[in-house]
Amino acid sequence: MLWIRLGLKELIKNRGFALFFILNLTLGLAGFIAIHSFGRSLNHHLDDNLKNILTADLVVSSNSALEQKDLGLINTALGTKNRQARLISFYTMVRAGQNARLIRVMAIDNAYPLYGKFSLEKGSAIESIQKAPGVFMTRDTAYVLGLRKKADKNFPIELGSKTFYIADFFGDDPDTSLTAVELAPKIYMGIDQLSGTGLIQFGSQIRYSRYFRFEPDADVPVLANTLRQKFAKAFPGQKRVNIYDSRDVNRSLDRLTGYFTGYMGLVSVVTLFLAGIATAYLFRGYLNLKQQEMAVLMSIGAKHREIWLYLSIQLIVLGLIASILSIIVSLALVPAFPIIFQGLIPDQINLTTDPATIILALGLGTIGSMIFCLPVFVRLFAIKPLMLLRGTSASIKRNTQQSVRLIASIIPGLAAFLLISIFAAGSMKNGIIFVAGFAIALAFLSLIGWLLLSACRRISRTRIIVAKIAFRNLFRNKWASLSCFVTIAMGAFLISLIPQVQQGLQNEIIRPEGLKIPIFFLVDIQDEQKAPFIEFMQNQQGELANLSPMIRGRITTKNQQPFRKKIQQSDDRPRRREGHRLEFNFSYRKDLDVSETIVQGDPLSTTPWNFESNRPFEISVEQSFAERYNIQIDDFLGFEIQGLPFEGQVKNLRKIRWNSFQPNFFLLFQDGVLNDAPKTFLAAISNVPLSKRQDLKNRIVDVFPNVSVIDVTQMAGTLLGITNKLSLSIRFMAWLAIAAGLTSIFSIARHEAWKNENQINLLKILGSKFSEIQAITLLEFGFVGFTSALFAILLSYAFSWAVSWYFFDSLWQINLTLSLLILFLTTAICMLTALTASRKVMKSKPIRLLENTN
Amino acid sequence: MILELKNICKSFHQPRSGKIEVLNQINFSLGAGETTAVTGQSGSGKTTLLSLIAGLDNPDTGQILLQGEDLCSMTEDRLSRYRAMKIGIIFQQFHLMPHLSARENISLPLEILKQQHIPDRVDDMLTSIGLQDRQHHLPGQLSGGECQRVAIARALIIKPALLLADEPTGNLDIKTGEKITRLLFDLVEKENKTLILVTHNPDLASQCRTTLKLKQGRLKQDNPAQNNPARENPA
Repeated sequence: MLWIRLGLKELIKNRGFALFFILNLTLGLAGFIAIHSFGRSLNHHLDDNLKNILTADLVVSSNSALEQKDLGLINTALGTKNRQARLISFYTMVRAGQNARLIRVMAIDNAYPLYGKFSLEKGSAIESIQKAPGVFMTRDTAYVLGLRKKADKNFPIELGSKTFYIADFFGDDPDTSLTAVELAPKIYMGIDQLSGTGLIQFGSQIRYSRYFRFEPDADVPVLANTLRQKFAKAFPGQKRVNIYDSRDVNRSLDRLTGYFTGYMGLVSVVTLFLAGIATAYLFRGYLNLKQQEMAVLMSIGAKHREIWLYLSIQLIVLGLIASILSIIVSLALVPAFPIIFQGLIPDQINLTTDPATIILALGLGTIGSMIFCLPVFVRLFAIKPLMLLRGTSASIKRNTQQSVRLIASIIPGLAAFLLISIFAAGSMKNGIIFVAGFAIALAFLSLIGWLLLSACRRISRTRIIVAKIAFRNLFRNKWASLSCFVTIAMGAFLISLIPQVQQGLQNEIIRPEGLKIPIFFLVDIQDEQKAPFIEFMQNQQGELANLSPMIRGRITTKNQQPFRKKIQQSDDRPRRREGHRLEFNFSYRKDLDVSETIVQGDPLSTTPWNFESNRPFEISVEQSFAERYNIQIDDFLGFEIQGLPFEGQVKNLRKIRWNSFQPNFFLLFQDGVLNDAPKTFLAAISNVPLSKRQDLKNRIVDVFPNVSVIDVTQMAGTLLGITNKLSLSIRFMAWLAIAAGLTSIFSIARHEAWKNENQINLLKILGSKFSEIQAITLLEFGFVGFTSALFAILLSYAFSWAVSWYFFDSLWQINLTLSLLILFLTTAICMLTALTASRKVMKSKPIRLLENTN
Repeated sequence: MILELKNICKSFHQPRSGKIEVLNQINFSLGAGETTAVTGQSGSGKTTLLSLIAGLDNPDTGQILLQGEDLCSMTEDRLSRYRAMKIGIIFQQFHLMPHLSARENISLPLEILKQQHIPDRVDDMLTSIGLQDRQHHLPGQLSGGECQRVAIARALIIKPALLLADEPTGNLDIKTGEKITRLLFDLVEKENKTLILVTHNPDLASQCRTTLKLKQGRLKQDNPAQNNPARENPA
């Protein structure tokens, strides 16, 4: 109790230190806790609503209608104690008045959905859209289709060759999954009303799904596995159907939400780290001031461990207060996330700060503080009551044992940082990459800082007294200056890096270097529609390009080995098993598109392949696809197209810039192989004036109702919207990091000012003006601010270049205006902060010098 | 015998000057109630000797026996407690805990040692030093003389076997210094304490029964005619 009482009294006496410590830690923790809290709320929501999201316990889906033999297998594996629902879904164009737009048709039967229920404004029954051609949609979807009045119910819309009416509007969006990543909004219609629309044709990209709801005691994962095994046995080497349950949905949603929370979590870790540096520095200064008092306590009988306890209690109390404050701040921050991520996350998410998050916050605040301050704690060993007689301080003497202790004390902090990073990133690999990148940045900036501060010795050899004192202070207080330099530089680095990377991404989406982005992307043009479509486009404003045939087929073998078996052997991540397919789209073209480049091997032969020859045809494989499936040049691939076996040999590997939005394919075949196979076409249309776009879309829907028109500019806009939202939140976290950095400047400047109080007063006594003393502080911290920002910006250029090169494959651009702004602002803020922090000391009377000496 | 020093040697290594012998074969002993002043020029090793006797530093060779227990052979934790119970130290700079009141500063050693009847003992001590009315003041609100009174009280409250004082009046004006000297010696006499006092001040030194002078690392009795002879055994 004595040590608790003494510790608390000490904190009350040192309110300035306590306040800054708490402020620093609160800033660092708040972002981290907010992200964590948000991530957990999101996961809880998904966990709780998995069945509602899937609308069933288990789903079997296929690209073709399930046949009797499939249904037979399903019935054998799943039994009869279940309820079933059917869904046929596909993308198509819908015409509503003067507007035509791509939508996703969800053709459902009366049993759909098996979990949850539709909430319709007028309470219409599903049967109503089975009997008559009606559709359900949300008001948002109606708005997108140009139906903006309440009275739009019963408004006619055209789907293919059939006219439907809006039967009702959803009160709540039935789609509880992540909507903004969908290509198009959904409308629901009766499955019986599909006939007569003419939308289901050969080659149409249609998904046939059958939903199952079991008795509550059914073991769904076991049933799913049994069914998978039955299909694998009945159709060896073929992936005929996709079978997934709520666990699979959970995994894919987890991956998606993991990106949001993972990246933001990592930025928050940086903030936490910066705050950690600042708090450790503050604590170090505090401990320096308290050395004598601790020596006194030891001289009257306190043991080292009691001194540890005495200080630990202070740290724990401070950490506890900071944790509680950070939880309160995070409660204010968390509601901002659903606004930022609107459309990317479910609307009805219930945001809560659960006990686990509170425990994490308290743990980080208390144990985290202890771990981060451990290197400072080690200095306690150097404190001896002897200093009370001799007047020496602990910092002067550091023997080998203490150096070993110091190094050992840093290890738990680094380990904790690594663990937190892995935890925040949600993956070991990403966490390690982040820590490695962070360590490189930190090492680089520390080295630069060290060299610069060492160079200050040379700069201080000047006759200008202000510069002499300022630069001498910098190199004589090298550790303090370096802490300040690194903290500011890391914050400036983040702030500079994020917009730099974002600009690369933005450029790539809006105007990729050397590519012309089309206006529309067309899907499902039937073979017989090819010629009329070309003719149609000749009379329109717009340029039809890349009319590419698309043939669906399976890859059966690689080098005479079953393709599927090979994939499983090379795949060490079972969770991604579902991602491997056997069915792919193939194409052929005489000349490569500008978005394609051969990176290995020779171009495909232009001579059409002859069926009669015994030689395999030539194949061009997309580079990342080849990497994923371990396909090399000269490998033999076996195919099954329309029931016929083929064999080809890989001739080259191609790199595709997918962001060109041109029709591109993983596999291109030699001319002559697929020319006579039943096919559909993809195409792109460019050079359509803005005012004519909707008109052209409408005409295409009128003449070719089965053709889907994807508005590329709209899609690029959606993508940009997502990146903007993400970068906004990441930038917010970066500013939080800078705020933590600024608090540390303030703390450091304040501490240095107090430390230099005697020097400042001595200068006053020796005749220095207030403005000169002010100039010393401004120069000292202005130099640190300017150089740290400068090198941070340069480092951010290097990192953003690496990111652009690795991820976007694009030319890298410098945002000079922003860089100059960051440079100027960081320098100015540093100077201002330091001036504010040291103002009190600067204004103190020189008499303090006499008081302090006594 | 309260304190015995046997063949104490202490040297320091300086980066430029090499090894400097500060104390060389120091031998002396003190009985209960004896008061001894240690004088010498600056750098003669007075503070080093005091720090060795206080168990704050270890000699290179030799033994320091306090009530028969060898301080040099104790572990740091044991030494810390033993010192707290047997030795009271008064510093030139007072070294009070700034955030504790005069009363709390005095009671602190008793609390650390988990002693009984703390309030009564502190009250008695406050009466002895005449600071009852200032007991709730913080060190920053007390004068230098008052601070040193609190420091003396803090050193004496544990009833130590040995009291060590390092220039106890060094930070005080002459008048206050005299008052503090009087108080210190009154209390030492009243409590029958053994006192070693390190000082430059000949007047203060003359208050002790014995004065030992440190010169070139060796201890010699100074002005033996005036002081009562200590049991000094130069090597």
